[in-house]
Amino acid sequence: MSPALTLVRAGRAEWSRIWTVRSSWIFAGALLVVVLGFGAVIGNDAAGDPSEITPGSTAWDGIRFTGMFALFGLVAMAAVVATADHATGGIVPTLQWTPRRGILLAARTAVVAATTTLLGLLSMTAGAVVVWTFVPFLGLPVDDGAALVGEMGVVLACGALLGVGLGLATRSTAAALVLAIALLLVGPLLLAQLPYDWTLTVSTHLPGSGALFLIFGEGPSDDMTTTSARLTMAAWSLAALVAGGGRLLATDADR
Amino acid sequence: MITARGLTKVYGSIRAVDDLTFDVVPGAVTGFLGPNGAGKSTTMRMIVGLDRPTAGTATVSGRPYAALAAPLREVGALLDAGAMHPGRTGRAHLRIAAHTHGIASSRVEEVLDQVGLAHAGRRRIRGYSLGMRQRLGIAAALLGDPGVLLFDEPVNGLDLDGVRWIRSLLRGFADEGRTVLVSSHLMSEVQLVADRVVVIGDGRLVADSTVAELLGRAGGPRVRVCTPRPDDLIRHLPAHAIAERTGTDELEVAGIGPADVGDLAHAVGVPVHHLSEVEQSLEHAYLALTGQQVDPVPEGLAR
Repeated sequence: MSPALTLVRAGRAEWSRIWTVRSSWIFAGALLVVVLGFGAVIGNDAAGDPSEITPGSTAWDGIRFTGMFALFGLVAMAAVVATADHATGGIVPTLQWTPRRGILLAARTAVVAATTTLLGLLSMTAGAVVVWTFVPFLGLPVDDGAALVGEMGVVLACGALLGVGLGLATRSTAAALVLAIALLLVGPLLLAQLPYDWTLTVSTHLPGSGALFLIFGEGPSDDMTTTSARLTMAAWSLAALVAGGGRLLATDADR
Repeated sequence: MITARGLTKVYGSIRAVDDLTFDVVPGAVTGFLGPNGAGKSTTMRMIVGLDRPTAGTATVSGRPYAALAAPLREVGALLDAGAMHPGRTGRAHLRIAAHTHGIASSRVEEVLDQVGLAHAGRRRIRGYSLGMRQRLGIAAALLGDPGVLLFDEPVNGLDLDGVRWIRSLLRGFADEGRTVLVSSHLMSEVQLVADRVVVIGDGRLVADSTVAELLGRAGGPRVRVCTPRPDDLIRHLPAHAIAERTGTDELEVAGIGPADVGDLAHAVGVPVHHLSEVEQSLEHAYLALTGQQVDPVPEGLAR
């Protein structure tokens, strides 16, 4: 079997691994409920009081903030999927079936990140459609949609890679989730509130601040730009993947 | 063919496997014996690339496991029956394995049927008994119809029918010319099915031979004697006889035949309630090799 064919087959197995356990369906269902629910609430409010709508807004703008919920949910889903093999001992048969660990790492990373990112983007698109059904005059321009999908795609993909990397590095669902929450939520918020320049600098360079800036256009520091926010998120994702991938490639397959 | 050369695994200050060298040949069932903690599972994990050896090599058909083009089609291994996602169905577990090698779904149904789990394929693994998980692990090992099979303690959790099924399965694979390595701490079980044995203790190789050779090395048949005065009988045994207390009123004697033991007991007036010849067991052979005893004779009584 060529490495390319092995990779494709390993990818198919990873896809099956995700969708043959209930937790993945629960994550996906919960995400849909939250995003569509917020879409309905926002749409209903806007329809009830159109004077509150910012001129020039579209249905896409109404759903933008749910990207933060999607990010948290999908990072958690990616971490749970990445740690499931270690939590259950499933890593033993997994590595028997795909013993080339580099291929397993590539397949797992690509499939989990692509699946969760697409899930997030589809949810947000569906949420925008819900907003639009309540307030059709806002419109649902394709250009705006493509721009939002592009921006959120970067955020969600980086978040998913972060979740996979943390999961592979810690091999513990609890540890991976705690770290993800610290990096995405608690760390940025807490450090930005402290009266020190260095804590503000650290906060600015955490992935949660990058995500916040890319979704809402503002972060803990005025120095942040779209490029710096993207770089921050990408750097953290890469670092997590290097740590997680290194552990998978170099150490015994213990639980 | 499985080949281990100088295989060593060190965890901190513990040498779990220490310079193991052995071959597992095709066409025979090779028992991999040793007490719990001897290093059997670690050795098998190194053979399939789950653990990295500290030193030495393990190859299957001349190549490291990870270098095999389609490992599932060449090697089937059951290493840890509990190592499965409990939230997945048995069928889904096997289908994932099949996906990694492009194996048809019909083969999944075949092996489920072969191991007697066709009725339980749609149930989640968390609802399986230990025996069912063993069967599912064996199904995964058979999925690629491999020429080399490794089973780590395969009879754990199986009922009597399951144990007999495993025996015939292993025997059948060996008779087809496949390479079969089966580990167990149940020596009597291995004795029933193995042609060869690799025995390890404390991670080191103790023996690598046919079962017949190993039994021969441990001495000839033994004589089982039941008597209410075992100590009296032991005192009158000739110097070359070796006695071992196996119960309150029971002992086994090696080095002299049953007729001699009966005559001796009669001559010294020791009543005998039972006297029979017992074949040498793998367990005794193992204990003789490692210098251990099943039930130590009180000091001064053993000869």
